[in-house]
Amino acid sequence: MAEMVSNLAEALVNEALKRRFEEAAALVSRSKSVMVKMFNSEISVVQRWSSFTVSLYLAREGRIMVSTIHPSSAEKVGAIVERAIKAAPQLKPSMLYAPLPEPERVEPLPGLVDGSVVEAMSNPEPLAEAMLAEAESLGVERAAGAITLSLAEKGLATSKGAKLEEEATGVEAYLRAFIGEASGQWAVGSRKLRAEDLKRVARTAAELASQARGEARQLEPGTYDVVLSPMVVGNLMNLVGMMSSALAVMMGMSMFAKFEPGSRVAAEKFTLVDDPRTPELLGSTAFDDEGLPTTSKPIIEGGALRTLLHNSKTAAKMQAKSTGNAGWIYPRAWTLSVKPGDAALDEMIREVKRGVVITNNWYTRLQNYVEGIFSTIARDAAFYVENGEIKHPVTRIRIADRLPKLLSNIELLGKELYDISWWEVSPAVRAPYILARQINISRPFE
Amino acid sequence: MHEDLLQRCVEEALKLGASYAEARFHRHIGSSLFARNGELLGYGEAIREGAGIRVVVDGALGFSSSNSLSWDALREAVAEAVKLARAHAKLMKRPIELADARLGKAKYEALCLKPLDSMGLEEKSAVLAEIWERAKGAVKEARLMTLTAQYSEDIEEKTVVSSDGALVVSRVPRVTVGYNFVLLHPQKGTLQRRFEFGGSGGLEQLEKWKPAEHAEEEAAKLEKVLLEGVEPPKEPVDVIVGSEIVGLIVHESCGHPSEADRILGREAAQAGMSFIKPGMLGQRIGGEHATVIDDPTIPGSYGFYLYDDEGVPARARYLYKNGVINEHLHNRWTAKLFGVESNAAARAMDHGSEPIIRMANTYFAPGDHTFEELIEGVKLGVYMRSYMEWNIDDVRWGQRYVGLEAYLIENGELTKPVRNPALEITTGAFYSKVDAAGKEVRFYPGSCGKGEPMQGVPVWFGGPDVRLRSVKLGVVA
Repeated sequence: MAEMVSNLAEALVNEALKRRFEEAAALVSRSKSVMVKMFNSEISVVQRWSSFTVSLYLAREGRIMVSTIHPSSAEKVGAIVERAIKAAPQLKPSMLYAPLPEPERVEPLPGLVDGSVVEAMSNPEPLAEAMLAEAESLGVERAAGAITLSLAEKGLATSKGAKLEEEATGVEAYLRAFIGEASGQWAVGSRKLRAEDLKRVARTAAELASQARGEARQLEPGTYDVVLSPMVVGNLMNLVGMMSSALAVMMGMSMFAKFEPGSRVAAEKFTLVDDPRTPELLGSTAFDDEGLPTTSKPIIEGGALRTLLHNSKTAAKMQAKSTGNAGWIYPRAWTLSVKPGDAALDEMIREVKRGVVITNNWYTRLQNYVEGIFSTIARDAAFYVENGEIKHPVTRIRIADRLPKLLSNIELLGKELYDISWWEVSPAVRAPYILARQINISRPFE
Repeated sequence: MHEDLLQRCVEEALKLGASYAEARFHRHIGSSLFARNGELLGYGEAIREGAGIRVVVDGALGFSSSNSLSWDALREAVAEAVKLARAHAKLMKRPIELADARLGKAKYEALCLKPLDSMGLEEKSAVLAEIWERAKGAVKEARLMTLTAQYSEDIEEKTVVSSDGALVVSRVPRVTVGYNFVLLHPQKGTLQRRFEFGGSGGLEQLEKWKPAEHAEEEAAKLEKVLLEGVEPPKEPVDVIVGSEIVGLIVHESCGHPSEADRILGREAAQAGMSFIKPGMLGQRIGGEHATVIDDPTIPGSYGFYLYDDEGVPARARYLYKNGVINEHLHNRWTAKLFGVESNAAARAMDHGSEPIIRMANTYFAPGDHTFEELIEGVKLGVYMRSYMEWNIDDVRWGQRYVGLEAYLIENGELTKPVRNPALEITTGAFYSKVDAAGKEVRFYPGSCGKGEPMQGVPVWFGGPDVRLRSVKLGVVA
């Protein structure tokens, strides 16, 4: 099936070369997806999308043009090439220009398609009903969330001769469970549909909401040890992943602007991998947008910065080699994995004299990307810990600190890994719980 | 545009059993130029178009969309939306009903005095190069480590047809220019600024904005903050919150919590909920000065529209009025549940998005003070003019804004620059502590995110400078 989109991509590249572009690449994707959205323990809307997207990279004399179109008909694709032809003479050559790479052998990635996802797409409501029923059976009073199932095919062709195709399914499910004022949230992202995964999401959300019952108190601002759940780690690793793009470094949007590869940027126990070759992770893929094979490789290994993420252009600019992370302009992480440690969650908590457990967060924003000065808000269940024991739920707390410090102060990593994907974690992240020491916590002035 | 086709979709949906159907043709044609340190990185174009179909069947909502505008594809999308709604209708505890509304039959266009194609790409690229040149020239002791700049334009065209009789055709062009720079000093570290201009209309806006001049001024002022900035006072002080921050505060702590779908919990697992609960209209949230308005009809605004995506005519909404919760943002569904009329807040990002409740242009109402009058009585205080970091909790009560350009106020005068003062405050405290507001309202553009999948829609937020009495500021760790 995906062959059709790669044939179309190839035809578009040939057409662009006929129209006097020196180089061209075309990425054609076609997807079907369905989403069931829930709130107050009922379905609020079911939405279905059928999407067809054509992206074109065109270059002439060092000038770069990228077009993305959701065409309503085939003629519209031609129209965008016409627009690019008109635009080209008015542009100056790009400071980032480098030729598209020569094709390399791409080893297909098996296991990207799960037939049960495709099957469930025609009747997704029972999945939502099962999640809601599981939460309700554990005393949840109301729940909100979403389940999204997708099937996508992409075809790529470049003027250097790359012609590739791939098909993949996707599942993202998350649930926020409420018991009185207390809430807990959990999520999963995968290429595979497993009923047990969805149930676990509902169960974990329900258990967290249950633990968070009781009067939530405010904390005095100050430094605390923090135990961060995989939901929180996922959100923060998205930030680290974004910052590891070589273009983010060039644009002043990265804490790695101050570090050379090899520099220590995190605790020795910490390893973060851009992990596209692990097929069950959402975002996994065998090739990048320039047609180069992807690899799973550490961005940070044993606490040291190993590599930025490159496409051919940023690699040429920084005298490096492409890491298979194109983006024609912007290299990006495909999907991220944090290497596990050997601690169990209760062991981590026992290690805390004065600290907090944060199970979910949102709204991470930065004052300064180069310094990594940020804050993020705890959401749902959060707990104060004293002398190794959870004492009570806490409310309205923020982590307000520096990302390099948080990474350096990691002391323990959990042994169990969770595949997380939701509104605040995209691309998907495989992560454990972590314990970081002496992190600044703030709260609002009343 | 495509009225007949859309009308056919609506009729088909009704034939299949829908009690309500709405079909929307929606197109964005946009382009962008990106530059780093004055040199062009690349040029991008994007076209998104197609139709979105929304139906109510047996009290349940279904949505489907299609890129293709062929009748076969649209008929399939209609059948799909009806099927999806029908499949979960049996699970609905509270069937979806829409409030009656006076719906528009209208065609409108945002004025474009200088069309988007009246300048070539060379000239537009030159705007970005000039931002770099002027900002670089303004920095004396520090170094401009990097400056990226972006020019974007977009034309949004829509036709909305509904089974209740709406037929609204619109065309809104928009332009934005933004920049992001990092100042570096070997001893003092770095400081970062992002800023964006944006509005609806044509290239006449560039003449008003003067982005290169703006970047030059910002670089000069922020270099002073980087080199000479002191810590904010530790004790509670009076704080003059600059219009740029006030705009964001009202967007986050008035506009969002006033969204009726959020109040009902529909966004609970994504963008969150609201401290405002059903039945809180009329309750006090702040002092007399706390009036916040959301008005989609402001000419030239980034969030401009005259009819929403359900065909309801737009008007100014007084969300907080003289310190009292006055009105929520509604679509026809929430209006029915609250027993009011829709005030036209239904917006969809593109053809693939369901219309949901959104802000347009939210602002704090002006007062009667000049800036000098705001600071004249302040013995010790801080003026926070701009920000970088901000966030707010998911019920929109605890929020934080970290100042970028900020100054100490001593005996009614601005003295030393202040580095990174953090205003971390509850919504109730903010609106209660405002004791004076400036005369001049200024607006800032943003892309507001909400929904699942995430929908980013253009908005303005703004207000005058306001004065808060006795607030404790935080220090960035």
